[in-house]
Amino acid sequence: MRAFGDVWRSNIFQKWVMALTGLMLVLFLIAHLTGNLLIFMGAEHMNEYGHSLRELLHGSAIWLARGGLLVAFVLHVWSAILLTRRNRAARPQKYVKTDWRTSTMASRSMALSGLLILVYVLYHLAHFTLGTVHSQYYAGQTGWEYTLANGTVVPDVYRMVIASFQEPLITTLYVLSMVLLGLHLNHAVASAFQTLGVTNRRISPLVRFLGPVLGIGVALGFCSLPLAVIAGLVH
Amino acid sequence: MNLRLHIWRQAGPDATGMLKTYDVANVSEHMSFLEMLDVLNEDLIGKGEIPIAFDHDCREGICGTCGMVINGRPHGPVAKTTVCQLHMRTFKDGDEIYIEPWRARAFPVMRDLIVDRGSFDRIMQTGGFISVNTGNAQDGNTLPISKINADHAMDAAACIGCGACVAACPNSSAMLFTAAKVGHLGALPQGQTERSTRAMNMVLQMDVEGFGACTNHLECEAACPKGISVEFIAQMNRDYVASVFGGRD
Repeated sequence: MRAFGDVWRSNIFQKWVMALTGLMLVLFLIAHLTGNLLIFMGAEHMNEYGHSLRELLHGSAIWLARGGLLVAFVLHVWSAILLTRRNRAARPQKYVKTDWRTSTMASRSMALSGLLILVYVLYHLAHFTLGTVHSQYYAGQTGWEYTLANGTVVPDVYRMVIASFQEPLITTLYVLSMVLLGLHLNHAVASAFQTLGVTNRRISPLVRFLGPVLGIGVALGFCSLPLAVIAGLVH
Repeated sequence: MNLRLHIWRQAGPDATGMLKTYDVANVSEHMSFLEMLDVLNEDLIGKGEIPIAFDHDCREGICGTCGMVINGRPHGPVAKTTVCQLHMRTFKDGDEIYIEPWRARAFPVMRDLIVDRGSFDRIMQTGGFISVNTGNAQDGNTLPISKINADHAMDAAACIGCGACVAACPNSSAMLFTAAKVGHLGALPQGQTERSTRAMNMVLQMDVEGFGACTNHLECEAACPKGISVEFIAQMNRDYVASVFGGRD
């Protein structure tokens, strides 16, 4: 067997790293979306869910999940930077004229959409998790407690979401980022399965269908929150 | 028909190239694209200018020697066609046509439209073969191969190594070429002995040559004059990782 360093640096291995971590992040997105949609069931359900996430396994589950996500995210971005640099270097002289047949704007701008999503994720964490930006809406501040049916006092996450999405800036950034995320997933999902080699003549059409479905589904799912808040469906 | 051509002219590997414009008159619609360039070259020679250098050999679409990017598409606008089999009836009077060489770091331009595809040969040298003790040819049917496997191997073996996949790929990746070679031998019993080292060595050589990584745009499959499927790329991805975790050297 070759030295592990040779293999690790190879393009296909880096693509596997990107595909596996990407699929992990997609699973996280689906879980995150499921939690978000609890908003339509009311404050009690959403706040209880938020509380149970922080209490699961005596509070260790959330840190395990955060650790796993951080590793997946760092590896995903790392392989993206590495491969993008190599791909750019592979064609030093560009064509004067190009006429693409199968690639799409989304597939050719994965690095850009990924970079913008990265920036958004950092902002999103600073807003909803850390409360360092838009701190006036932070659920952890005093006066924003919510008492669950069983008497436990928890931060009012429900109120934080509603109050935040009433701010046009937050909603606009959110919707734009979710559109980018949808475009990213549109190419990413089918691409990941192809890279992992699980596609063949029979499975490929299904996999190529799954990408756009997940992209549109996830983007619409997340956007349903701010849209519902603006429409006054949840308050 | 009369055409206006914008052709990449470059005197040598280190020279600076640029697009030059040529007007060609009275082009017959029955000519192949290369014959049209032949006519232009005759004209240039008559005028004492240096003719346009381009690769060509069999001119019947099976050797893989010719190739140029025409209006942004390797081998031109018609699917599953090499440029020698592209006919001028595809174009119409007054068309402007941009003609450029394959663009990749691993395919340096030698002159005008000719690129050095030696990187493909070096990939082949690392694993695109089977090792056998030669002697008399063995009797027919001593090595039964199912129709399914024979067809699958033939689908991959249809690759003529022209490099259109690299030219079409936004990343100049050679995945389709290499996958066709790995997939061809991997589908046959003779190729099993070296299957895992073949995938490993050819993939690593591809990186050494400076080809980019595949981002699954599928442009290669669309540009391939032999219509080789990207399913071979998926299979090479499997074979490569299998050789990482279970391979012998």
